[in-house]
Amino acid sequence: MPTVTIDPTGERVHLDPGETILAGLYKAGYAFTVGCRRGGCAICKVDAVAGTFTYNRPVADNVITDEERADHTCLTCRAVPEGDVTIRLRGETLRLVNPFLAQLNARARQRAEAYAASRAAASPDATPPPAADTTPAERTTKE
Amino acid sequence: MAVMRMGYAHVRVTDMAEAKSHYANTLGLYETLTQDGKVYYKGWDEWDHHSVVLEEGGVGLVKFGWKVEKSEDIDDIERNAQAAGATVQRMSKGENPEIGDGIRFETPSGHLFEVYHEATLIGTEVGTHNPEAFPRHLVGVGVPALDHALILAEDVRGMERFLTQVFDFYPTERVQTDLDDNDAHFIATWMTANNQIHQLAVLEGPPGDSQGKLHHFAFKLGDWTEVGRAGDLFAMDDVPIDIGPTRHGITRGQTIYFFDPSGNRNEVYAGGYPAYRDRPLVKWTPDQIAKGIFYHARELNERFTTVYT
Ligand code: FES
Ligand SMILES: [Fe+2]
Repeated sequence: MPTVTIDPTGERVHLDPGETILAGLYKAGYAFTVGCRRGGCAICKVDAVAGTFTYNRPVADNVITDEERADHTCLTCRAVPEGDVTIRLRGETLRLVNPFLAQLNARARQRAEAYAASRAAASPDATPPPAADTTPAERTTKE
Repeated sequence: MAVMRMGYAHVRVTDMAEAKSHYANTLGLYETLTQDGKVYYKGWDEWDHHSVVLEEGGVGLVKFGWKVEKSEDIDDIERNAQAAGATVQRMSKGENPEIGDGIRFETPSGHLFEVYHEATLIGTEVGTHNPEAFPRHLVGVGVPALDHALILAEDVRGMERFLTQVFDFYPTERVQTDLDDNDAHFIATWMTANNQIHQLAVLEGPPGDSQGKLHHFAFKLGDWTEVGRAGDLFAMDDVPIDIGPTRHGITRGQTIYFFDPSGNRNEVYAGGYPAYRDRPLVKWTPDQIAKGIFYHARELNERFTTVYT
């Protein structure tokens, strides 16, 4: 359950596993300059200042150059975080266009964080959660 | 000299499996050939071997093919293109599967054009003998044919001159900074060689990043109802919609802009009034460009001028 943090404004958005950064931010009610959402137009680039990600599809060399593959450039519509990431938008700030969706996302994130913290506290060996009950993480993905 | 139509659009796709699903299952094109990593398609109401070519690796335009009425037209266009300063190469039959001899040149806007007269005739899906109105088992949108494209150029006035000189195209509509052509800066132009309202449109692109760039290529549809139905299918297939269904003030066409799985912009386009060489040119001023492009919203979304492949 990766969290995307926006630098320097500090918004935090909770992503579902396998979700791209762009899809997750839009689903959480945020907007920034995007285009094709399919890795072709190069307009959704940001800088990933912390954390790692992988691209869920091949990305064309004229969209992400070799240089950009080595620096912090992140094509958000194809980038799936491998853990928590921090991104910095290029020449704009993230816009909150739907506070309701942002609220839903914040609640899901808080539940996931609380669950992770309780598991860490309960057992340093990280025993699996009780099978009988629905885990908070599962409830989260159903919303 | 007569260019009949844009015969084929050849584009790159990053993932062939996803692209095939889009062009065959969502748009409903008919696959006619797979060869050397390329897949060839035609629409149900097209008779030549192919109108769309997909090539795996990258994104954006490879080239357009233009079909001319007579084989002599190729020689005329070759001379015109040379006179306009283009370097023209001869291409021979089979360089493109099922396409005859022709020529190839790059436009000042950096787009590769091929001109040909012969293509293998496959026939439309309804045939020519007492045909039905449409094929009974169309897939998805079931687009009948390729229609037109919009490309970027740094110098729109120069491209308009080039297309007039080389293809005998004429402009039907234009966005320009002044109604007086002499004082005006041309921002966009819609051009054709026949009664189709536009075969190719050219939009001013950013200096240094416009060469060879594709804004969109479009498929023909019958009317509003078909455009709306296409939108429903895009929702079912999770196709990212750029805008629409809406109308273009320019050409009066009804439209949806959307993206293929590699990020190439496509359009489904219906309507558009008949063009004539003697019909007075329609001019749009920059203050009304938003209404010209998206007639209902009257606002230009940020993607129209910044997103291309
Ligand atoms: S939105 Fe076009 S590449 Fe990401
Ligand atoms: Fe168009």
